[in-house]
Amino acid sequence: MDEEKMEKLKIQLQQLLNEAHEFVQKIPPTQINVAIAVVLSTIVLFLIIRLFKRKSSNTIVLTGLSGSGKTVLFYQLRDGSSHLGTVTSMEPNEGTFVLHSELTKNGKVKPVHVVDVPGHSRLRPKLDEFLSQAAGIVFVVDAVEFLPNVRAASEYLYDLLTKASVVKKKIPLLLLCNKVDKVTAHTKDFIRKQLEKEIDKLRASRTALSSADISNEYTLGVPGEAFAFHQCSNKITVAEASGLTSDISQLEQFIREYVKA
Amino acid sequence: MLEQLLIFTRGGLILWTCKELGNALRGSPIDTLIRSCLLEERSGAASYNYDTPGASYTLKWTFHNELGLVFVAVYQRILHLLYVDDLLSMIKQEFSAIYDPKRTSYDDFNDIFQQLKKEAEARAEEMKKSKQVGKPVNNNLGRKQGQVQNGSVDGGSKKKSGGESGNDGGDVDKSRGRPLENGNLRNNHVGKGEAPTMINANGKENGASKTGAFDVNKLQKLRSKAAKKTETVVNKVPKEEPKKKITKKNRVWDDSPKESKLDFTDPVSENGEQNISVVAADEGESMMDKEEIISSDSESEEEETEKDSNVDSKKKGWFSSMFQSIAGKANLEKSDLEPALKALKDRLMTKNVAEEIAEKLCESVAASLEGKRLASFTRISSTVQAAMEEALVRILTPRRSIDILRDVHAAKEQGKPYVVVFVGVNGVGKSTNLAKVAYWLLQHNVNVMMAACDTFRSGAVEQLRTHARRLQIPIFEKGYEKDPAIVAKEAIQEASRNGSDVVLVDTAGRMQDNEPLMRALSKLIYVNSPDLVLFVGEALVGNDAVDQLSKFNQKLGDLSPSPDPRLIDGILLTKFDTIDDKVGAALSMVYISGAPVMFVGCGQSYTDLKKLNVKSIVKTLLK
Repeated sequence: MDEEKMEKLKIQLQQLLNEAHEFVQKIPPTQINVAIAVVLSTIVLFLIIRLFKRKSSNTIVLTGLSGSGKTVLFYQLRDGSSHLGTVTSMEPNEGTFVLHSELTKNGKVKPVHVVDVPGHSRLRPKLDEFLSQAAGIVFVVDAVEFLPNVRAASEYLYDLLTKASVVKKKIPLLLLCNKVDKVTAHTKDFIRKQLEKEIDKLRASRTALSSADISNEYTLGVPGEAFAFHQCSNKITVAEASGLTSDISQLEQFIREYVKA
Repeated sequence: MLEQLLIFTRGGLILWTCKELGNALRGSPIDTLIRSCLLEERSGAASYNYDTPGASYTLKWTFHNELGLVFVAVYQRILHLLYVDDLLSMIKQEFSAIYDPKRTSYDDFNDIFQQLKKEAEARAEEMKKSKQVGKPVNNNLGRKQGQVQNGSVDGGSKKKSGGESGNDGGDVDKSRGRPLENGNLRNNHVGKGEAPTMINANGKENGASKTGAFDVNKLQKLRSKAAKKTETVVNKVPKEEPKKKITKKNRVWDDSPKESKLDFTDPVSENGEQNISVVAADEGESMMDKEEIISSDSESEEEETEKDSNVDSKKKGWFSSMFQSIAGKANLEKSDLEPALKALKDRLMTKNVAEEIAEKLCESVAASLEGKRLASFTRISSTVQAAMEEALVRILTPRRSIDILRDVHAAKEQGKPYVVVFVGVNGVGKSTNLAKVAYWLLQHNVNVMMAACDTFRSGAVEQLRTHARRLQIPIFEKGYEKDPAIVAKEAIQEASRNGSDVVLVDTAGRMQDNEPLMRALSKLIYVNSPDLVLFVGEALVGNDAVDQLSKFNQKLGDLSPSPDPRLIDGILLTKFDTIDDKVGAALSMVYISGAPVMFVGCGQSYTDLKKLNVKSIVKTLLK
């Protein structure tokens, strides 16, 4: 039965082809050439637009645990002050603007597209939407309440560093230690070392034990050596900032480095 | 008097706060509201209660979904302000008129606010006077609030229910002084809190009512009277105790003759049994470590169901809705959302989601969609579907990490064993899944030890012994009729001695209403402070899931002698292979308790243990 159907289909297809052939041959040649030229040019246009979009990914993604100060930093970048304060974000804050500190500069300043993704664990899936167009990631860490949250922070950072989009595109990451205006804030070196230690332990518990454990897409670091940030294929830098007192110069430096490029 | 009134965006920026009511709020009520209520899809509730040392607030809120704004009013719980809802809706209207996404300071709103507040207060006074009888109105509203409070206590976050009941237990005197509204409900709470302490004096035997030191029935009568009477009962108990020495009576279930010997454990020592050569069970890798292949299902099924719901509506209605969907101008009203939400709710209920949960979820989605503008070329039903899908993903995504191996390693470094306690009602599969978890941990090179703390059910200890033999892991057991808390304690000590990393504690199944058994369970948890309290629930359960989990949490919170009680930390969903696509029990359990699903048992052999795949469950629920 199937073979008969196949035969019938084949005959039908051949008939259609013949008809199309005759139809095409009837049209005068100039029209065909024009049609082909139009089709080709639209295809070329599409390709160019796609290339353009990929190159000019000028999005900076602010992420980190809930309560680390991302929304405050976002508004500092945009307006120079955090207004009346913030609460836990339920939705991402997006904006394309010129950095507030550069408003007074003369000449043409390129606007920056900044996205502040909520840090609450239930809203984590929202991060993936913005990672595809990210030119740089800022991972904000609360330098005051660091030790109670070090495990959660390192797990989040580990998940981030092993995502395919981050590893393949080698998106640079800035580890920003926020709230350094407080007296009990830890130093950025301490935070960096603690995070490296925790990620090292995570590495061991997640990948080395079972080859079937493929929940993370890539492995980090060099097996056998203690993990360090400089082993990652994407560049990781550490900086300090204070959202409340507008001390965000290092953050702006990072943004300028990677957006103008 | 209002404590505070805030207007903020959904992105987190505070736009306006009332400057006159300058009292700083104690604790962080707004953040807690967002985390425990609005992000948990409970935004359909009428109010939220927040307790902090030094203050107890009630929070009410409203959304403006089109502009993405949230309006929150905070006031002291003991004041029952009637004008808050009114005020909030008026403020919403006024503010949306002057709102501009670019602006960040709205100082001119202060005067408008003052005006509105006076208006609202005046209106509330009028209503009070015009009704003539202030008390019945208050009673109705108060009882409604009390019920909502109860609902929110049951459904709210774990710490909340523990905290509030703790308050109730302590404020015996205050409860009488407080206005009638919650008087009845509070007294009931207090009564329940005091009475069980008396029963405990006689041990945990229910059968003791016939032969025990005092009558449980008498106690129930006393419970219904005012709290004063509990003092007299306390005096009675110590008098009656020395009269009769408490001997443990066997539980008599029916008129069967008494068994003289109940402990049938083989007197032959372990050596005799080891002669039987047992091959260590090795059935391949546990499904926990395998990636699930998500099959892409066809869109055609969705189309069919949508067609059915469209056919129901009248032809005129269909035409106008099509027109509206193309134009995209309509602001969504609650009446528009009703049919779509009802259809969704019915669909969820056919998938075995508890009725109460489906209701609350639909309310929450309605609250988040009201007033929103339809995007062009979308139907109402598809908007509602998308919002519901997002809400479901949000609920099922775990709030904290469920990486048990990481926790085990952390505990190993500290040098103590990681203790997991399996709790649940009768017959859900605790012992079977305990063995599965042990198998999985063994595959990850972790030293496991089992503790047989089910000292009631015949054969429970032998069952675990068989599993232990097959898996070749040590088991700590003390036979039957022993106190499970002490067995568990000794098991943990044994584990730290022989170098086991994990101790899996099996407990007896118990109904959530059984007071003495729940007390025994909370004692076990209090004495041993396990690292993980895993509630084992079967996927076949229907509406009872809500009752089970909420009562378990409540009892663990109430009956624990410590001020900071341990509640359920995770859920193990069993018998998942028996339900085809009626996966709603997972949603009910996660919603009501806030605990993540850590494992899913999908069969009766050692490898049938896997992780919960959130996306596939959401897809199945909405199919």
